[in-house]
Amino acid sequence: MRHVRGFDIVRPLSIGMLMFMMLPLVFLPLASIFIFGTSKGLTSFWNALTAPEAVFALKLSMATSFWATVFNVVFGLFAAYVLSRYNFLGRNALIVMISLPTAIPTAVAGFALLLLWGPYGILGRFLAPQGIQLMFTAGAIILANIFVTFPLAFGVIKPVFDTMSRSLEEASATIGASRWQTFWYVTLPSLRGAIVSGALLTFARAVGEFGSTILVSGNLAGRTQTAPLYIFAKFNEGQIEAANAIAIVLALFSFLIFSVLFFARDWLDVE
Amino acid sequence: MKAKQARIIEDPVSDETTQSAPQIVARVIGLSKRFGKTSVLEDIHFDVAEGEILVLLGASGSGKTTILRVIAGLEQPYTGRIILHGKDVTDLPPRERGVGVIFQSYALFPRMTVEKNVGYGLRIRRRRRKEIRETVNDLLKLVQLEEHRKKYPSQLSGGQQQRVAIARTLAYKPEVLLFDEPFGALDAQTRVKLRREIRTLLKRVNVPAVFITHDQEEALELADRIAVINVGHIEQLGTPEQIYNHPATEYVATFLGAANLLPGVIRRGNVEIGSRVVPAGVDLNKFPEGHPVKLVFRPEDVRLSKTGALPLGHCLVSNGIIEEVSFVGAFERLSVRLDLNESLTCDGVETPFYLTTETPEKEGAKPVLATRPRPEANANRLHVGERVMVGLASFTVLPDTAALSISQERARDARG
Repeated sequence: MRHVRGFDIVRPLSIGMLMFMMLPLVFLPLASIFIFGTSKGLTSFWNALTAPEAVFALKLSMATSFWATVFNVVFGLFAAYVLSRYNFLGRNALIVMISLPTAIPTAVAGFALLLLWGPYGILGRFLAPQGIQLMFTAGAIILANIFVTFPLAFGVIKPVFDTMSRSLEEASATIGASRWQTFWYVTLPSLRGAIVSGALLTFARAVGEFGSTILVSGNLAGRTQTAPLYIFAKFNEGQIEAANAIAIVLALFSFLIFSVLFFARDWLDVE
Repeated sequence: MKAKQARIIEDPVSDETTQSAPQIVARVIGLSKRFGKTSVLEDIHFDVAEGEILVLLGASGSGKTTILRVIAGLEQPYTGRIILHGKDVTDLPPRERGVGVIFQSYALFPRMTVEKNVGYGLRIRRRRRKEIRETVNDLLKLVQLEEHRKKYPSQLSGGQQQRVAIARTLAYKPEVLLFDEPFGALDAQTRVKLRREIRTLLKRVNVPAVFITHDQEEALELADRIAVINVGHIEQLGTPEQIYNHPATEYVATFLGAANLLPGVIRRGNVEIGSRVVPAGVDLNKFPEGHPVKLVFRPEDVRLSKTGALPLGHCLVSNGIIEEVSFVGAFERLSVRLDLNESLTCDGVETPFYLTTETPEKEGAKPVLATRPRPEANANRLHVGERVMVGLASFTVLPDTAALSISQERARDARG
C-alpha cells in the first residue's frame, strides 16, 4: 500500500471505485423506475396503478405467493426437523434434492411442471378426461412458486435447528412436557427469527417470479396474470406507464421486505 | 477389596433397617451401558436416601454423566434398573419419571422470562393460574431472585441462571434432583459461594440430589456421600471422611486430594519400605506375607522434626532431606527426599526388597510431599538441605496390584 505522507490513498480510491461501479449496475436502473414512473405526474401514476387488470395482477401475485410461502415454511420446518434430528441412509441425498431448485433455471422448472401436469403431461393426461386441469390456473402459479422457492425457508431454518442445544428440549422433557408441548413452547419460539426471515425471503422471491409463471399460467390478463407478467405484457403492448406503475410497487415492496430483514435482525436473532 | 466395596454399598440397606434409618428414594441396580461395542458403564449400584446429597466424582470421560442421563431417562441402559420411590422407572420416558435435571448449560428457555421458566413445569401440567403464581412467588423468594422475575435468562449472570434452573425444577416437586456439573461454567468465587447456597437450599427443601462433578473440593464440601467413578465403575462409595481418610484404591487416593504413595512389602504384619519398617498392624488375611503394597498418606499427615521427637501416635518412617520449601497461601509445602535405602539404623532386618531398590521406577527415591499450617511453619522453620525425621499421623495400606502382577510375571518367566 502506498502512503502519501501518512495518507492512505488506496482507501478513498477503492471506496470511490466501488460506488462508481455500482452506479450504472444497481443505483441508476432503480432510480430510473421512479424517475420515469412519476414523470407524468402522480395522477397518471395512480390511474395506471388502479386499473382493474393491474389491481388484479397485484392481488393474484400476493395471494399465490402467500400460499406458496405458507406451504414452504411448514414444509421447510418439517424437513429441517427430520433432517437435523435423525440420521438415516440417504439423508444427504435428500438435503441435496431439497436444495436443487435453487440451481434449476426457472423456465426449466415451469416447463417441467407443464410436462407433468399439462393436458398432455405424464400425470395431466389422466386428469384431463376427468375435467381436472391444473395448469393455466392460479393453482399452477402456486405450484410453480413452491417449486422455485422450495429450499429458501428450509435453508434458513435448518442451520438454526442444527445449532440449537439439545439440552433445551431435554430439559423440557425431564420437566414433564410431551413432545408436542416441547415443540410448541420451546423449539418453535427459538425458531421464530428463522421462520420469519425464511418466510419473507420466500415471499419476496415468489412475488417476483417470472420464468416459471409465464409458462404454467398461460399469462391470461385478469385471470392468471401476475404482477411481473403484467409488466412484461404492458411493456410489449407499448404501455410503458402501466408497466412502470406496477414496477414501482414491486420495487417498493422488495425494499420493504429487505429493510424488515435488515433492521429487524436483532429482534429476529435474539437468543 | 471387592468384598469391602460391596459391603459399603449395601450398608444403608442391610445395617440400617431400623426406624431411624432414612428412606431410600432412588436406587440404581446393576447399571451398565454400551455405546456400540465400547462399554462405558459396568455394574453400577447405589442408593440415594431421603434428603441425601450423593456426589458422583470422576474425571471427564469416566461415565458419570451417562449415569445421570440414564437416571433421567435421556439414555437407555444396557442392563440394570432404576427405581424411584419404590417404582421401577427404567422403561418410562423422561417426562414420567419425576426427576429434575439441572444441566451444565442451565438450559433455561431463552424466550421465556424468569417467572415463565420457573412456572413452566406447572403450566404444562395445566395447573390453575393462581397456584402457578403462588408457587413461582415462593420459589423466587427461596432462590432470592424476586426482583429479576421479568428478566430474560440472557440478562442474568451465570449464578442467577443456575438458581433459576433449580427453582424451575423444584416447582413440580421432583422425587430427585440431578445436577450435571452445575458449576462448570462459573468462575471460582461464584462456584464456592453457590455450592454452599445450594447445599443449604437442598437441605431446607429436603429433596435428595445426585451431583456430577470432577472437582474434588466441590465433592467434599457438597456431599453426604461420594461415589468415586473411574472408567465406568464405582471405585469407592462412602462419606467424604471415609473416602478422604481411608481410600479404598490407589485411584481414589490420588484423585481425591494429594497423596503420597510409597511402594513396600508386607513383613510380619508390618510394611517394609526399603530398609524401613512401618508398624502398620495390617490384617494378615487381607495381605499375606511378602505381598507388594503401597503406603498411602496425605501431605498434611506428614510430621517433620529436626530433633527426632514426634508427637504421640506418630510413627517414624525415615530420615529425609528437605529439597524444596514453597509457600502456598495458608500452607507451607515441602518436598522431602527420604533415605529409604540407607541401612544404618536397622539391624536384623532382611536385605531391602527388590521392589524399591531394583525396580526401574525406583519409586522409593521419589520425594514425599508434606504440608504444614502457617503457625507451625513459622514456629519451626525448615530450610532446603536440612535433615529431618519424617513421621506419619495416619496412613492407609493398599495392595500394589501393578507390582503384584509384575512379580507374578517374573515368577512365571523364571519358571519358564
